[in-house]
Amino acid sequence: MVSGVNMAVNLGGIKMRNPINTASGTFGFGWQLEGFYDVSMLGAITTKGTSAVPWEGNPAPRLCEVTSGIMNTIGLANPGVAGIVEKFGAYLAGLEDRGCRVIMQAAGHSIEEYRDAVRLIEELAPFASGVELNISCPNIARGGRLVGGTPEDASEVVRAVRPLVSRPLLVKMAPVRVPEIAKACEDAGADALSLINTINAMSIDIHTRRSRLSKPTGGLSGPAIHPIAVRMVWEAARAVSIPINGIGGIATGADAAEMILAGATAVTIGTQNLPDPTAGPRILAELEQWAVEQNVSDINELVGAFEC
Amino acid sequence: MIAANAQGLQGTVGLHEFCVLANEQVARDTFRLEISSLVAKRIQPGQFMNFAVPGDPTHILRIPLSFSHADAPDSHVTMYYVTVGEGTKRLSSMRTGDISTVVGPCGKGWRLPEDLSGRCLLVSGGIGLAPIAAAAGMLSDAGIAYDVIAGFQTAARIPERLISEMEPLLADDAKIHLATDDGSYGFAGFTTRLMEQLIAEHSYGCVLTCGPEVMMHGIAAICAREGIACQASMERMMGCGFGACGACNIPLVAGGYASCCMDGPVFDAKEVAW
Ligand SMILES: Cc1cc2nc3c(=O)[nH]c(=O)nc-3n(C[C@H](O)[C@H](O)[C@H](O)COP(=O)(O)OP(=O)(O)OC[C@H]3O[C@@H](n4cnc5c(N)ncnc54)[C@H](O)[C@@H]3O)c2cc1C
Ligand SMILES: Cc1cc2nc3c(=O)[nH]c(=O)nc-3n(C[C@H](O)[C@H](O)[C@H](O)COP(=O)(O)O)c2cc1C
Ligand code: FES
Repeated sequence: MVSGVNMAVNLGGIKMRNPINTASGTFGFGWQLEGFYDVSMLGAITTKGTSAVPWEGNPAPRLCEVTSGIMNTIGLANPGVAGIVEKFGAYLAGLEDRGCRVIMQAAGHSIEEYRDAVRLIEELAPFASGVELNISCPNIARGGRLVGGTPEDASEVVRAVRPLVSRPLLVKMAPVRVPEIAKACEDAGADALSLINTINAMSIDIHTRRSRLSKPTGGLSGPAIHPIAVRMVWEAARAVSIPINGIGGIATGADAAEMILAGATAVTIGTQNLPDPTAGPRILAELEQWAVEQNVSDINELVGAFEC
Repeated sequence: MIAANAQGLQGTVGLHEFCVLANEQVARDTFRLEISSLVAKRIQPGQFMNFAVPGDPTHILRIPLSFSHADAPDSHVTMYYVTVGEGTKRLSSMRTGDISTVVGPCGKGWRLPEDLSGRCLLVSGGIGLAPIAAAAGMLSDAGIAYDVIAGFQTAARIPERLISEMEPLLADDAKIHLATDDGSYGFAGFTTRLMEQLIAEHSYGCVLTCGPEVMMHGIAAICAREGIACQASMERMMGCGFGACGACNIPLVAGGYASCCMDGPVFDAKEVAW
């Protein structure tokens, strides 16, 4: 707080020293970035989606580059909750001690798998300040449709998991039917909403006539999706009264500021971390500078301060 | 930087500025880039760096490149690259004095062979000769003799400059064998065929290879058949280069995947499910 502006925010009970968080799947488990800067200066980090048992993920190629963005089909590869805690638990607990909140993301292919993942997080990862439920996974039992692709489905999974989670529960939404699903998640007991996840997209190599990924489609992220994400954050913020964690194509302090004006309490950096591993501290400094220019003493005054 | 922690997890990859010292065409579609950067002080043969190339904000990813030679005291690093697409073409337009950044040193590089008395065979395809040159430097420093097979599509693509940089390091009885797919220079045909001839004449304790995956698969198969240890430098589309995104998976014989940017790019060839 060099500027005198209060940057601390409260994301549904997760008390962050500043609004900067990192997006699931784009920040490893945090330690990989320690060679670039002191990660504990961030408000929070979100882990890769973790399942009750290890998931291998999809074959290569898992990533391709498109105009102003990337597409991925990683397939939620992760070593499982127990594997993660064994390998990185002490680091993550230490990060909490250093003042940076750790959000463990839970993934599953069915309601039972989500419940198993969350139970294990409760048991093995008591250090984490929050749990994020990634409801953008395919539901195997229901023909692969999104676990949280309709308000009814989203409500069902959040209700099934809520009683198992003793800490703040975030729900990570897919970029579909945002106002309705946001409301359904709030009613089902979510403490905050994270959006958006990647947008389903397609890229074809015209010479080989094949997908540029190992699957026909993949998730689009990066600057290309930013204006869509801002719109969806704004829609969600109007639909609910719980805080919003704004995600999607944030590459600069200005992008983060836009998210805050649209109604986000926290701002989460994803794809930008990959080519620009010091994006976190830079965007934090730019955001604070903007708050100074806006002449506020508390960043929270700017949350949802968009005027039409 | 703060990196050590209870589990000994170390963020060893950093962000370094570089200045272009030279960037010149040396063969068809092939360039030699020499930079000045502090990354030179830490990078090991077979490791790579991820280059930010300015000039096009619509392409957000960095470009991963291996290096052929690093001079720690002078902080110089030399790369060889082929212009295959938009990013490498943009890189080829960088001029002496231009400044940008690299992320590195990334991954795990070549390992010295267990049997230091044996002779090594280095086999490259195309621009895979760049990290093979770094391996050659490492073996020379360790006093290990080696021969080289360097295959190219065609004579016009042979970077003679790189070969002349490698020649002074060779042992008296050692040789760089050039091969071209189209027979326009040297041995006519694939590196695997030339390798079959060489292993019939000499005994090799270890093979190090870098090139197209199909070629390395062939080399690895010969090594498996002959019981020769083999290290292969693999390539994958990369998002970050430091273990943050999970994009760069290499399938393993033991099941599951390894990370090309963290566990590799150099792998024990018999562990890879080709
Ligand atoms: C560890 C490693 C070391 C490498 N070392 C060298 C080297 O020393 N010399 C050299 O000439 N090339 C090297 N490459 C390959 C080089 O990174 C690609 O040729 C380059 O990224 C292509 O970018 P482009 O924009 O020109 O081409 P594009 O038009 O984007 O693509 C052309 C081809 O390059 C591949 N490619 C594109 N982006 C990446 C990326 N971020 N990571 C990996 N592959 C990609 C694509 O799959 C495609 O097949 C290395 C790659 C890796 C992973
Ligand atoms: C390589 C990669 C892996 C991702 N993995 C996950 C994941 O495990 N769980 C999840 O909820 N979102 C995942 N995402 C989505 C991001 O968390 C984020 O919601 C999305 O990329 C949009 O933000 P961005 O444009 O800033 O990247 C992933 C994105 C990328 C690029
Ligand atoms: S390139 Fe991101 S994990 Fe290897």
